[in-house]
Amino acid sequence: MSYIQVRDLCKRFYVRKKRSSESFLREKETIQALADVSFDIDRGELIGYIGPNGAGKSTTVKILSGIMTPDSGEVRVGSQIPWKDRKSYVKHIGVVFGQRMQLWWDVPILDSYSLLKDIYRIPEDAYRKRLSELSEALNLGDLLRTPLRQMSLGQRMRSELCGSLLHRPEILFLDEPTIGLDAVSKLALRDFLKWENQEHRTTILLTTHDMEDIAALCSRVMVLGHGRKLYDGQLQDLLRRYDRRRTVEIRYDRSGCIPVLPASVTMQREGDGFRLAYQPETLPTAELLALLQQAGSIREMTVQPQNIDYLIAEMYREMGL
Amino acid sequence: MKAYLSVFRMRFRLETHYRGAALGGIACQVFFGLILVALYRALYAGKPQSMPLSHVTTYVWLQQAFFRMLLASDADLMDKIRSGGIAYDLCRPLHLYGFYYVRIMAQKLMGSLLRAGPMLLFAALLPEGWGIALPASVPALILSLAALTLGLCCICAMENLTMAFTMRTLDQRGIQAMMNLLMMILSGNVLPLTLYPDSWQRIITLLPYAQMLDAPIRLYTGETAVPQAPAILLLQAGWTLLLVGAGCLFWQRNQRRLIIQGG
Repeated sequence: MSYIQVRDLCKRFYVRKKRSSESFLREKETIQALADVSFDIDRGELIGYIGPNGAGKSTTVKILSGIMTPDSGEVRVGSQIPWKDRKSYVKHIGVVFGQRMQLWWDVPILDSYSLLKDIYRIPEDAYRKRLSELSEALNLGDLLRTPLRQMSLGQRMRSELCGSLLHRPEILFLDEPTIGLDAVSKLALRDFLKWENQEHRTTILLTTHDMEDIAALCSRVMVLGHGRKLYDGQLQDLLRRYDRRRTVEIRYDRSGCIPVLPASVTMQREGDGFRLAYQPETLPTAELLALLQQAGSIREMTVQPQNIDYLIAEMYREMGL
Repeated sequence: MKAYLSVFRMRFRLETHYRGAALGGIACQVFFGLILVALYRALYAGKPQSMPLSHVTTYVWLQQAFFRMLLASDADLMDKIRSGGIAYDLCRPLHLYGFYYVRIMAQKLMGSLLRAGPMLLFAALLPEGWGIALPASVPALILSLAALTLGLCCICAMENLTMAFTMRTLDQRGIQAMMNLLMMILSGNVLPLTLYPDSWQRIITLLPYAQMLDAPIRLYTGETAVPQAPAILLLQAGWTLLLVGAGCLFWQRNQRRLIIQGG
């Protein structure tokens, strides 16, 4: 039996909308946030959970973390049902809601941490060890004595993350944890999550729109759209399905050279060179290369796979999202 | 238990950060105190009431000194409910009602301690007939302190009900305006309950609002004699239990149908 079991999870919301901007009347609209979503997660897995805005990702996280009751369906984490055994269940989980704050606004974050220590009953020495581990990984050293309100967005995110991890949760739900982080912090956070996952076998469910995060961390991804699960499997398999185009940037020795190419290749001038996009399936790379060489001697050339964000956008488009 | 104590300590300490607010509060309450005392002196000059003037001025100063106990809402908590930050509190292995209860109590207690000290000192230094009188007796003082403690518990339970209500309406303004109005009038802040007609008093003093500051003040001035104290304390405890019970139920129901909106 797997560690986290989700079966036929359903959740509806009601939104009251005005009929028109002048109308006094409102109508109730039902939004199916989750429709029969099922999945299993084993202990120690690191899973990416993706989907466009409004797909139901956060709803899943809220239900899994015990703060929302679904309309129907079953969830079992270990032997517990999150929303039924909330108090004993939440001891073992850590949650980061990238949009919200858990630390106290007006006091140094160290004070908030020591409050969390008491709330989760973390022994003093374990707390010290964990805090130094986390503050090093998240580079919090100088910030510990700073009140949250005086921090930048990225500093705040790092502090919030630390707060969610202090009690060494067995499962970590991360709802867009990299919002507002700079490149250095983002990389550090990724390294940290990887380390946390491998070292402590922490199960991590990562919700994000940052595909680089997913690519760097998760081997398995689940794609959600309009409340339904559309894909569940290896990220590489998913990408391969949509990864059909390659971009070529090319520059010739003499600027007068213009390659003659079939219509399936799009070409545009860029500076003193060209940018081409082609599909290796319809036009093998060797043939393209031959055509390009006919136009003149090539000074430099790069072939790139498509940006992962484009791939995902294309995937969403094809799935009708 | 330690967790709740820590929450209490944290909120308690936080209140000391807002020293400017405390100073402002003191100035405001001193002003109100002086105006009200002048008003009652004028009333007594025209037509003396059954209660001695010194009891009325004492009543006024004690009401003003502990004003922060009556009317203080934790803006952070309201914000959490409105913004959905409450999601994080739900992820803590704590009883949510208790968690908010201790926060409310810490704020009200520290807020009033910060203000009451200087204000009572000021009121004690005022000339005879303007300031605060000594307690009726030592037992009266001790009993009034006990009653004040119970009164605080009662107020916090009331405030937590307002919170639970806010979780339904998502806006505290309506319920708070109503509760504050009832509080100001029925707790004796605007007009000491002892000056209401006797027939009114019989009912008003039974309401929870009278248990908050009116009951302890009456014990302090000796308006309520020491032998009557156990009945008063029992009434206070009864209301507190009732309000806490109602609050717990309300919160529990809220939790079941709670929806945190947005990503």
